[in-house]
Amino acid sequence: MQRYAINILLCVAAVVLIVLAQTETLDKYVLNIIMLIGINCIFAVSLNLVNGYMGEFSCGHGGFMCVGAYVGSLLSVAFFTDSKLFGAALFAPELAPFLFPLVLFGAMLAAALAGLIVALPSFHTRDDYLAIITIAANYIIISIIENIDAIGGSRGFSGMKKTVNAMSDLIDLPWMLIWTLIGVFVCVVVIRRLMTSTYGKGVSAVCQNEVAAEMMGVNTNHVKIMAFMVSSGLGGLAGVLYAHVYGYVNAQSFNLLKSTEGLVMVYLGGMGSITGVLMAAVAFTLLVELLRFIIPGLNTVFHDLNLLPASYQLDQIWTWVIIPLTLILLMQFRPEGFLGNRELTHVFPRLKRWITLK
Amino acid sequence: MPLLEISGLTQRFGGLQALTDFSFQLEEHQLVGLIGPNGAGKTTVFNIVSGFYKPTEGNIVFDGRRINGLKPHQITALGIARTFQNIRLWNAMTVLDNIRLARTPQLGYNFLDTILRTARYRQAEKAIENRAREVLEMMKLSDIAEEFPKNLPYGLQRRVELARALAGKPRLLLLDEPAAGLNSSDADDLIRFIRWIHDEFKLSIWMIEHQMKVVMSLCQHLTVIDFGCVIASGEPEEVRNNPDVIKAYLGDDTL
Amino acid sequence: MEFFLQQCVNALQWGSFYALIALGYTLVYGVLRLINFAHGDVFMVGAYLAFFISTGLLAPEGMFGFSRELALILTIPLTMILTSLVGVTLERVAYRPLMRKGAHRLYVVITALMCGLILENGNLALLGASRRTLPELMDKAVYHIGGITVTNLKLFVVLAAILVFFILHFIVTRTRMGMAMRAVSWDKFALPLMGIPLDRVVVFTFVLGSSVAGLGGLLFAMSYPVLDPYMGATTGWKAFIAAVVGGIGDIRGAFVGGFLLAIVEVMVAAFLPSTYRDLYAFSILLLILWHRPTGIFGKPLTAKI
Repeated sequence: MQRYAINILLCVAAVVLIVLAQTETLDKYVLNIIMLIGINCIFAVSLNLVNGYMGEFSCGHGGFMCVGAYVGSLLSVAFFTDSKLFGAALFAPELAPFLFPLVLFGAMLAAALAGLIVALPSFHTRDDYLAIITIAANYIIISIIENIDAIGGSRGFSGMKKTVNAMSDLIDLPWMLIWTLIGVFVCVVVIRRLMTSTYGKGVSAVCQNEVAAEMMGVNTNHVKIMAFMVSSGLGGLAGVLYAHVYGYVNAQSFNLLKSTEGLVMVYLGGMGSITGVLMAAVAFTLLVELLRFIIPGLNTVFHDLNLLPASYQLDQIWTWVIIPLTLILLMQFRPEGFLGNRELTHVFPRLKRWITLK
Repeated sequence: MPLLEISGLTQRFGGLQALTDFSFQLEEHQLVGLIGPNGAGKTTVFNIVSGFYKPTEGNIVFDGRRINGLKPHQITALGIARTFQNIRLWNAMTVLDNIRLARTPQLGYNFLDTILRTARYRQAEKAIENRAREVLEMMKLSDIAEEFPKNLPYGLQRRVELARALAGKPRLLLLDEPAAGLNSSDADDLIRFIRWIHDEFKLSIWMIEHQMKVVMSLCQHLTVIDFGCVIASGEPEEVRNNPDVIKAYLGDDTL
Repeated sequence: MEFFLQQCVNALQWGSFYALIALGYTLVYGVLRLINFAHGDVFMVGAYLAFFISTGLLAPEGMFGFSRELALILTIPLTMILTSLVGVTLERVAYRPLMRKGAHRLYVVITALMCGLILENGNLALLGASRRTLPELMDKAVYHIGGITVTNLKLFVVLAAILVFFILHFIVTRTRMGMAMRAVSWDKFALPLMGIPLDRVVVFTFVLGSSVAGLGGLLFAMSYPVLDPYMGATTGWKAFIAAVVGGIGDIRGAFVGGFLLAIVEVMVAAFLPSTYRDLYAFSILLLILWHRPTGIFGKPLTAKI
């Protein structure tokens, strides 16, 4: 029993969250932040497979999120809603809660296929050359989507709220919160299971000594394809959830800045540490949200103390000065991220008694 | 039929001819050596046999099957394992994981099994784990199974690398300078050790080595190359007295 | 045909900007194996510095009130010097301590990314959203050659880029410091043994790269006078890609890559809907990299056992 303590605790926490959301104890804003945290967790943990465990430098993870978001949105609109684009709904809207996994799966599949674009050149090139291939892939994906007028082009695409509403109409539950929690769970379990298997350790072998990996019987090309596809597929999962939480997507939300956020979370948490990256994703998202309140507060304080000229107002743009600055400082003190390549259970071995991650 | 048969192997890198018309045969359960001065092309031979380079010309037949052009991991799966001149372990993985990974060619489960933790996965992982522990036990490395290779002394790292090569149950083991960096008494241990491996694991060994003591006491047959060409081959004693070999190593004093 | 040639002239101008930025990426990468992602923003800072310097120099009520020619002549070196100070400060404050601690290479890259964000958002936060416009520093002259029109500004930009190329090429291949720079990329540990302090080489590299980016910023601002804090980010990413396509670490590569990217972009925009620009430009660059994984001038990667 003790061994499952933390697992049970997490389940209870999830149920409590859902109940709180259901009874509307949590207001919409807090709920949105919780879902955003979940999405960022998926985004960062999936990127960690390539950038942390495999040691490649993929800078275009936002592109895969974009593919997932768009494909998922299109599927969802085509499946469950009447739209100008696809005509009548393919399935009865009552089926939405049951068939929604199909949407998630389709989005993941599409994003995984996009991941192939990046995986194939990775056979010949490494780190810095791969970095630009991923940057270019990010640009290309966004550019393609912006040039397809049928799905809104640069105006973005919406209509997914109807799917979410269809789900709530049938059974009144905070559906997107549930799907997000499931998504985080699936993502962590997949990466965790992969990286504890002999099969998945091939990814670390490629990172640590690619020549030895190939020579000792690891099919490095296969491993790279697998890692890139799993990583981008889960990135796509983050995208489709994002699209449904906000009900609207725009290709520019997934540009290099989004990819940079992913990099920040991975390197802040520690390359190759799931728990570290999860912590970083939570901390990062919360920091961004907290600054929304802190900055106006600071503004008032500074003005009261006459530290700032009356004409100058501290505004939200300072968020993106403070966050990078914080990160730079953090890295000066902990150049290996929160946990380095270790998991929380390595840092606190006692935790192992309470936890069984299989 | 010989276990390994190389004929007419030639390797060019741009304008450099690293290996010229190299031919060689190795019988089942032989222990033979490949020697030559620095830069003679010995490691190139190993790199070609293990699939790291594609030979410009020539044929390599292992156990009746042509293997040139195959990928390194395919060749490893067929039963050729090797060690490296400069140790190449996965330093951020435990010794046990290092050994386990060498069983990848015999994995026996796929991606979905991994994610779903199917019965097939559990059985296969158990078998891999057992084999890895068995090899560690045989190589007297059980105590350090959970250590990271980078924290081990040099000699132990070499032994871990050997254990890793043996974990895949190879039929042919290529050793690239196993005695490099060892002093004379360590080398004596190594000689005993390699002989023991050769008998215990019932495999063929082909080794590159500079320390004459190791080569002379272990190898049943020697091939000597210089500037990518075979200059002598035969029993260790007769090779040692071959004037061409002496010239290659000591230089031509008629100059 | 005339239209095509006219586009070529435009491409040359854009190529000059890309090349001037790409140089900074390439120089730093060649020495430190570091992708200095803040470099695009250093270029932006260069443009803003040029704005402040030239406005200050030209201000009629100010203490100088120089003529435009004199202002231009003074703005060029001042911008370059101040921009290089920015680059060197980044190296000193952010990169060097991290590298000293032996942090993973990619952490330094992330730090660079963060420095870039600070520069662009800090700029926006401090200066506000109102766009600045660089005063005109040059009397406009238009030449007609055949059917194509060339302004003196375009000529100036392209000639400056070419001049920079030759100067840099000379520095890297002929001077002691340049040789040290090339030596570092081969063997970082042997260099101090040769009596050349590594830090000095690194600082020199940042000075070269940043001052050239500053010059690029000035020229860019002269051509497109409305300044934007994010102008360095987009242009910078593209210039980085240009540097890699040319073969990162090689000065010729930075130039060839920069001009190549510009030609593709300008031609795509000229003959296809301009929204396809990124799509085609990057796809073509990917194809080049597919064919030559280490870029046009890059040496093939060889693994050794």
